Amino acid sequence: MKTTIILGTLITFLTLVCADHETLVLIDNLNIKETHSQFFKSLQERGYGLTFKLADDANLVLSKYGEYLYKNLIVFAPSVLEFGGQVDSEAITKFIDDGGNLLMAGNAAAGDVYREIASECGFEMDEESAAVIDHFNYDVTDEGDHTRIVVSPKNLIKAPTIVGEQNTQPLLFEGTGLIVDKDNSLVLPILSADSTAYSYNPKSQVKEYPHAVGRKTVLIAALQARNNARIVFSGSLFFFSDEAFNSPVTKVHGDKTKSDVSGNKILAIRLTEWVFGERGRLRVRNVDHHRQGEKEPSSAYTITDTVVYRIEIEELKNGKWQPFEANDVQLEFVRIDPFIRTTLQKKPNGVYEAVFKVPDVWGVYQFKVDYDRVGYTRLYHSTQVSVRPLQHTQYERFIPSAYPYYVSSFSMMIGVFLFSFVFLYYKEDQPKTKSE
Amino acid sequence: MPSTTETLPSNGRSKGLFQNTAGLSTLITVTVLTLAWLAGFASRLFAVIRFESIIHEFDPWFNYRSTAYMVQHGFYNFLNWFDERAWYPLGRIVGGTVYPGLMITSGTIHWILHALNIPIHIRDICVFLAPVFSGLTAIATYLLTSELWSRGAGLFAACFIAIVPGYSSRSVAGSYDNEGIAIFALQFTYYLWLKSVKSGSVFWSICTALSYFYMVSAWGGYVFIINLIPLHVFVLLIMGRFSQRLFVSYSVFYIIGLLLSMQIPFVGFQPIRTSEHMAASGVFALLMAIGALKYLHSLNPKGQWKQLLILGGMLAAGLVFLAVVLLTYMGVIAPWSGRFYSLWDTAYAKIHIPIIASVSEHQPTTWSSFFFDLHVLVCTFPVGLWYCIKNVNDERVFVALYALSAVYFAGVMVRLMLTLTPVVCVLAGIAFSILLDLALREDEVPEQSPDSEESKSLYDKAGKVKKRTLEAAPNADTGLGMNVRSGTLIAFMILLMLFSVHCTWATSNAYSSPSIVLASYGNDGSRKILDDFREAYGWLSQNTAEDARIMSWWDYGYQIAGMGNRTTLVDNNTWNNSHIALVGKAMASNESAAYSIMTMLDVDYVLVIFGGAIGYSGDDINKFIWMVRIAEGEHPKDIHEVDYFTERGEYRIDSEGSKTMLNCLMYKLSYYRYDSGGSPPGYDRTRSALPGNRGFKLTYLEEAYTTEHWLVRIYRVKKPSEFNRPRLSLAKRKISTSNTISKKLSLGAASTTSRRRKGALKNKPTVVKGKKVGKLE
Repeated sequence: MKTTIILGTLITFLTLVCADHETLVLIDNLNIKETHSQFFKSLQERGYGLTFKLADDANLVLSKYGEYLYKNLIVFAPSVLEFGGQVDSEAITKFIDDGGNLLMAGNAAAGDVYREIASECGFEMDEESAAVIDHFNYDVTDEGDHTRIVVSPKNLIKAPTIVGEQNTQPLLFEGTGLIVDKDNSLVLPILSADSTAYSYNPKSQVKEYPHAVGRKTVLIAALQARNNARIVFSGSLFFFSDEAFNSPVTKVHGDKTKSDVSGNKILAIRLTEWVFGERGRLRVRNVDHHRQGEKEPSSAYTITDTVVYRIEIEELKNGKWQPFEANDVQLEFVRIDPFIRTTLQKKPNGVYEAVFKVPDVWGVYQFKVDYDRVGYTRLYHSTQVSVRPLQHTQYERFIPSAYPYYVSSFSMMIGVFLFSFVFLYYKEDQPKTKSE
Repeated sequence: MPSTTETLPSNGRSKGLFQNTAGLSTLITVTVLTLAWLAGFASRLFAVIRFESIIHEFDPWFNYRSTAYMVQHGFYNFLNWFDERAWYPLGRIVGGTVYPGLMITSGTIHWILHALNIPIHIRDICVFLAPVFSGLTAIATYLLTSELWSRGAGLFAACFIAIVPGYSSRSVAGSYDNEGIAIFALQFTYYLWLKSVKSGSVFWSICTALSYFYMVSAWGGYVFIINLIPLHVFVLLIMGRFSQRLFVSYSVFYIIGLLLSMQIPFVGFQPIRTSEHMAASGVFALLMAIGALKYLHSLNPKGQWKQLLILGGMLAAGLVFLAVVLLTYMGVIAPWSGRFYSLWDTAYAKIHIPIIASVSEHQPTTWSSFFFDLHVLVCTFPVGLWYCIKNVNDERVFVALYALSAVYFAGVMVRLMLTLTPVVCVLAGIAFSILLDLALREDEVPEQSPDSEESKSLYDKAGKVKKRTLEAAPNADTGLGMNVRSGTLIAFMILLMLFSVHCTWATSNAYSSPSIVLASYGNDGSRKILDDFREAYGWLSQNTAEDARIMSWWDYGYQIAGMGNRTTLVDNNTWNNSHIALVGKAMASNESAAYSIMTMLDVDYVLVIFGGAIGYSGDDINKFIWMVRIAEGEHPKDIHEVDYFTERGEYRIDSEGSKTMLNCLMYKLSYYRYDSGGSPPGYDRTRSALPGNRGFKLTYLEEAYTTEHWLVRIYRVKKPSEFNRPRLSLAKRKISTSNTISKKLSLGAASTTSRRRKGALKNKPTVVKGKKVGKLE
């Protein structure tokens, strides 16, 4: 019996673990499995269970009985016009809203479904058949349209959590450009093109002003939604292909950058690590606050108390939750406005601590830790406490400025006593002088 | 009751000779007072009989909640209670911002009853406290009137005050408010003050101060006492009626009363720091100065001292006045508060403090409400006043001042009708007593004589006026024939009957509605109960998180806290105007601007009252213009009252309403999804109009609950994390897609009908059955 229970729990546990790595890959052509084999292989090596489905499969489902079957979704199907089964752009956005991660790559031929999903995430994909063209930075393998461009790793976003640290090789890119909504603060332009690039249909003459020009042409964009779901959207499916991974890079013009192998593979792996939540995940393990010198947490403080606030933060590293190291975590003590904003002191084991004096204003406050850094999940924690005024017994009793009053009242008491004594026992010879 | 049995024998004893009649009159007095008490108690029970034993309206809910807290946690915890559920996120120190007399009174009753093993719920004590105290008020009024005139007049006054609508409006069962006990304290303090002025005894003065202390602990209206008594003293001084009695009674009362009143945490140092209380100290100083001058005069009672006395008195008055002005100027004494200004200038509040003007009971009184609340008394009380002035003595000066000031204040504010009612009852009682005296004098000599005898004995103490009343009495009743007399009697009996009928009718129909339960009557007279308020508050308490924060207009703050037990942002204790203005601004802004305010204030739910479906006129849209005004007072850049009116200055919600109005949060929350209210659907019965902006969607809020008759509507404010992806709206997209939302929606509809749907790919290799395509090499 016991063993079966243990086995049962083990199986549940395993399925839970696997569920985190369960990935659906939508492709428009089974060929892609072969052309992008290195990419998929690297995922499988890291423990992802990949389920390949054709994008127009009539049995496509993302969830069953309200539970999602997959945690991650890869869409490598640029030629899709309409997804099959129960999947459409709405289902995918709902998948994101429910916390699923999405990696999507298209190319110049990508259809409107792609555009829909991109716009739902706050950026746009350029028109159909438009491709990023750079007449100054193209690879030797380019076929004359100057669309297979070489992008310097300097154009990567400065966020080691997302792109890793060792990106030195130039990157190969062939595909359409993305336009990022300026008002959207959540979108991250992971890789942008050089200033000489623009996005237009390479087969036709440039008649209109291109939608994306120069540095504004984003090649790979990412979004971390407010529920910490992550999306990486690449304009190029070629970027993830074996060809791009393996081929040497030689720029035709300019500095004639040469490299034996492109940086695509490293970057692609880093990006998948980030997008599927292997890196850059933070969580609050424990929060604890109490008066200085006390052990028990208190839900109400008195004004001008000294309060100790501790928060324990962990980061997911190599599949394990480990103490998080940083020195810029801040605490706010807020009542509509922050009354106190202080940097938390780092203590061992990922514990951050602040000791401060509660302001001399009563009300309902919140301890707020809002740690929002590029590449990391948003860490937000708020605890509500009330700060109450002094109780009637807590006021200072014997303040020096009151001594004159004490003296006066006691002298009055003594005076009245003496007076009544005299009044009662002093016998006047001739009474009734001033009684009226 | 104890007070009657205690005081009546003393009256009887003073007569001495007429033992028998005294016994009889005592019996009559006790009987009449008991009956008055019973009638007063019974006439206030309409609400309990029609609905249930429930706390009414708004403020009583707070009083009830804090009483329950005090009973549960003890007095000291109540005193230190920091209520984090009110005025989120500011909180409220309840112990320091409340007149605790009411809670202590009912808490004491609860304690005594429980000590006697009578297990009664605190709610029932709270519900029935005001009716019980109405009986005490009747007794206090009897004492006051008999002190002023005669016991007969006192009985009349007691009967009047027991049932008069002007008083029962604030003291029906369930109306658990400060006024319920404060009117008793007011009358009793005045009675004791007259007693002490009359006797000049320290004992009565201290009693007055104690009673005043009770009044201070019970109601903010104590300011009326602490201004009226000094006014009385001042007028007496001007009239040259200075006496040692006055000197003793006022100085003792002032000092003891001052010290005692400062013991109430909410009052604190106000009695020495604010202008409202300066009249009392000024008069005190003046009295001292005059006392000193008099003393100097008594040392040498000859010659030119008289001029010196007058001059010195005027000089002292001037000095006191200058000192007060100087201290106010220096900031030691706080200037008059806005509420006080609005008593002198009725337009003041409207311009400067909209929050005061927004309360309906702060509006000026209409003539009809004088008659409605006082009926025949309002016509007869001038008679009593005239008699009092005609036969003036120290006490009657007081009642004249009381009447004049109360009439003025009642004219300024509907709410202050309450302070007018007792004095009207007193004076009308005097008038009726005199008239009845006249009518009955020759017929029933024995009945009349004790009355006049008693009044004589009373005047004896006053001393000076004895002669005057004696010559006034024979003057009054000459040449009344038998027929005239009986005619008058019958006419007055009918008048009094009509009065009592009116009182019962007014109390039952106008003042006995709990206002949290509404009743409507069908054509066949059947009654329909609309219990939407409690339905909504019940929903809140059952379905929202324990610490959910509810935003509503301040009217409903106490009820949400009392019945829903949830955190509120603003409530009926309108101490923080800027916080209320912030809520008003949120209500008056468009949805996105309101959303930023609501997230700043951590609002979880918004509650609005919407009466359009049932024609309930006290709803939020009708109050809305006050929200705009209050918000404009604090945020003049963002909110403009003009924007909410049409170009012709009309306030309307139909298609001609202003654009700002039709897009503000309050409008949207009231009319969201509204399709009830008869034909055409969505018709607003309260404003008799079809809303101008319909079929809109809400972005930042979602409907959480709407009660049966649409009366209360609760919305949930979405959290920022619910706006997960900042999607690019169609209008902002640079690249047009053929797949617009409409197409997608139609596709979505198709997908629900056929779950297995084949997708579509560009350039898809055609699949031939029987031929494997699986792997394309």
